[in-house]
Amino acid sequence: MSEDLKKEVQEAPLLWPLTPIPTYEEVYDPRICPEAQREISSTFEGWLHPKHEMAKPEALGQVRVLECGHGGFQITAMQAGGYLGELGANVIMVEPPGGSPLRKLAAFGRKRYMFKDNVNGDLCGGTFIHECRNKQSVTLDLTKEEGREILKRLATHADVLIENYAPGQFDAWGIGYRQLSKINPRLVYVWCGEKGQWGPMKDKPGEIYPASPCSTGWCHATGLPKAFGGTPIRAGERADAIIAGNLVAHGTIAALIYRDKVSGKGQFLEVTAAETHLRIHDYAWGWYGMDGSSKPRYGNWDLAINIYSVNPCKDGYMMVGGGHDRLWYRIWKTVGKDRPELEDMILDEPTLRVVIDRVGHDQQVKTLVCLTDWMKDWTREECRAKLLEEEVAAGGVTFLDEVAEEPHYKYRGMVRAIETAHYGKVLFCGSLFYAHRTPGRVKDLGRPVGYDNSDVYRKLLNFDTAKLNELYEKGLI
Amino acid sequence: MTEHLDKLPFEEYCQTIFNKDALFDKPEALKGYRGLSCTQYILGPCAAAYLAELGAETIKIEVPRLGEPMRHCSPYNETWFYPVSRWNPGRGTSPAFQGANHNEYFVTLDYRKPEAKEIFYGLVQKSDFMVWNYRPGTFDRWKIGYGACKEVNPRIVLAWCGGFGGFGPGRNWASYDILGQAKGGVFSFTGHRAGAAAGFPSKHTTWIMDYSVGMLVSTGVLAGLFWRDTVSNLGNYFECSQVQGSTRYTEYGLPLWGRTGIVRMRWGNWDTEICVNGICKCGLSSYPHSDHPAEKEEGYICVTAYTDEDFAKLINLIGRLDLAKKYATHDDRVEARAQEEIYPAIEEFLKDKTKEEANRVFNQAGIISQPLLTVMEAANNEHWLQRGALGWYDDPYYGDVFTQNVIYKMSETPPRMKYVHRPVGCDNEEIYQRVCGLSLDTIRELEAKEVI
Repeated sequence: MSEDLKKEVQEAPLLWPLTPIPTYEEVYDPRICPEAQREISSTFEGWLHPKHEMAKPEALGQVRVLECGHGGFQITAMQAGGYLGELGANVIMVEPPGGSPLRKLAAFGRKRYMFKDNVNGDLCGGTFIHECRNKQSVTLDLTKEEGREILKRLATHADVLIENYAPGQFDAWGIGYRQLSKINPRLVYVWCGEKGQWGPMKDKPGEIYPASPCSTGWCHATGLPKAFGGTPIRAGERADAIIAGNLVAHGTIAALIYRDKVSGKGQFLEVTAAETHLRIHDYAWGWYGMDGSSKPRYGNWDLAINIYSVNPCKDGYMMVGGGHDRLWYRIWKTVGKDRPELEDMILDEPTLRVVIDRVGHDQQVKTLVCLTDWMKDWTREECRAKLLEEEVAAGGVTFLDEVAEEPHYKYRGMVRAIETAHYGKVLFCGSLFYAHRTPGRVKDLGRPVGYDNSDVYRKLLNFDTAKLNELYEKGLI
Repeated sequence: MTEHLDKLPFEEYCQTIFNKDALFDKPEALKGYRGLSCTQYILGPCAAAYLAELGAETIKIEVPRLGEPMRHCSPYNETWFYPVSRWNPGRGTSPAFQGANHNEYFVTLDYRKPEAKEIFYGLVQKSDFMVWNYRPGTFDRWKIGYGACKEVNPRIVLAWCGGFGGFGPGRNWASYDILGQAKGGVFSFTGHRAGAAAGFPSKHTTWIMDYSVGMLVSTGVLAGLFWRDTVSNLGNYFECSQVQGSTRYTEYGLPLWGRTGIVRMRWGNWDTEICVNGICKCGLSSYPHSDHPAEKEEGYICVTAYTDEDFAKLINLIGRLDLAKKYATHDDRVEARAQEEIYPAIEEFLKDKTKEEANRVFNQAGIISQPLLTVMEAANNEHWLQRGALGWYDDPYYGDVFTQNVIYKMSETPPRMKYVHRPVGCDNEEIYQRVCGLSLDTIRELEAKEVI
């Protein structure tokens, strides 16, 4: 690495937390928290607080996963391996020699946004480090026959194999489900990708997000209508590909349950990012079937609920939600404290009296213009405090620096930092699986290329140093 | 049988084992499991519905008569599935309800009534899992929370899900899907850049945080059941916070902020990490005479050409050889200023094309592209219909319904959709008789008292 680049790559200490993490005494201060509530919350903390997590067993502690998700930039397999790893599975991530292409990704390709290995100076992108939690990292060249033979041997020791290569690639290589299930009938084999491995619109090699939301109507329905200057818009994050990872984890465990309780055999699963989104595209399909409607873009408002939208306020954008009567009147009561004339205008409006009459476009415009007229004088935090007083769900659009410093998230360990062996201290989002007996947990983040080669190949395949050296020299690992 | 499959070409092999018409010839993964869904809106209901699709007998408990609020939120208030319940034939259920409630049994119970407690404990005793998403502490106050349930049935796997979680400074904050998107972070970096037309944060059109965190809640339940049945024989209690899902999906956002103090921001329809991989505007509309504004407008197409080879093809096609020299490597192309030059050049090339023409041209040149389908086009797309992702379904209650189908495909124990949903309290007799052993007389009596 050049001297310039060395300077460019940040070695600054972690900037987090800027404000201290709140303590138990502060959170449950008797002046702000009634006795009964403190009792219930303390019980929850006893069951669920992540400070107890490392002392508890892991739900998938006996499961070994081979994650072959690193042939390109499709990220579903990497994401899925992360969730299974959080739940305790031994996830062995198989990367091509030299490392996964996903390691090289950084916003705008900027090396200074990457993380430097403090031993050999290699750079690794933030997404990879964040998502490859709890995984062992091995390298193997699957494009070579000899490498594939090694994968077959690894598969005999695995419960699950997850891959996202081009459709039919593994099958053509002789390491698809048809071949591996002969070697290990108990293997649960998952293929994941954007649109599918069969069908008229199946994945082309190299196809990645946002192909999936474009093919389902999702991108077309996100964003503002053209009349407001809007266009279709993709999600900032790789939304479908990420949440398809949730389903890979889901399907894998379901297949393991069936294997261990009933059949003793594995099976073949297919999870696609696009179908994940088709499945969750709320009322779009029922609505289309009923009267042929094609769900249009409606910006930051919701076609089915009024009020349930994001609108500008003094220092940003503010979400307010209250679909049914109880919340509706509380919202206008809050507004009425500052602007009684707005409250009167809404409550006197005959077309806004009944819940189901309020969702027409004209009614939404009337409602949200009045609401925004009140919000424009207040900041996100002021609006939120006023609305929370009446127990209305509300919150500002929060940027990541604010997310990282939100006391609630810090207290719950949602946002936390970990000391990694090679990349220094890294800020990350904790596991979502809070649990009484088997919580998900993050023990380590992404590791350097081939970090566990020796451990895995020795333990599972009895390769000795001479053999490992031979493989290195041949460029197989 | 398998020998025959071994000889098939791969695509035919997949068509055979994932055949949507053979789903009902195969066993179900979760047969024999029973679960309760004490849920409303989307987050909790969908978590239980994913398990119902896999074959678990899932009993959804709603408020007597009107049912849960999600039944009553319909786009523009124009589509309804009648009736909402036998007590209320004049009202209907919204299509928004159907994505999150497949295959369930629908019973009613008013938890607050004294008679309800015993019935509820009876159900808990005979169940393997339970999902609920009332505000934290509500069920505990009614003495039907985890503390009480694990006394009744130590093997039950419970999952509570909600906005911010049951402890911590924000334990009382209510949440909705869109609030999760906003407070967790993904909202802030979706949308066009500040200063661009319509350049402000943008909502994901689906209730994505509810549905996707529901998947994780459901995954938690499965993990709990797996651990119970293969290791410990013990129940479990999971808690999932929906807002955290939104933070979990921010990719490099948190590490970047922690290391450099740089906040991930919006980058419109382009990719921050990969170039070329973005959505470009075509000059022409595919439906210039449509009266639907979202169809009448210009088409859009997603272009993917990030390898050097594909980028060279793209540059040749659009005739901007100067860019090939200027941005020879991926590191050069992905820089912000390079993207600002490359994408407008592509849009210039697409100025006189519809999205279909553009797609044809890109395909001929060997470049990966995907036109942006409207909801209507996706609903009629051969790919999704063949794969069974979407389809018409003859529902016993609601007639012909067009609906999303199952969550994923499995070769041996595929999830399947048996019916979209049912009216409120439709299975009161079935469940309370078969599972709880109540007589019809008792059920009628309880109904009269509005306990069920």
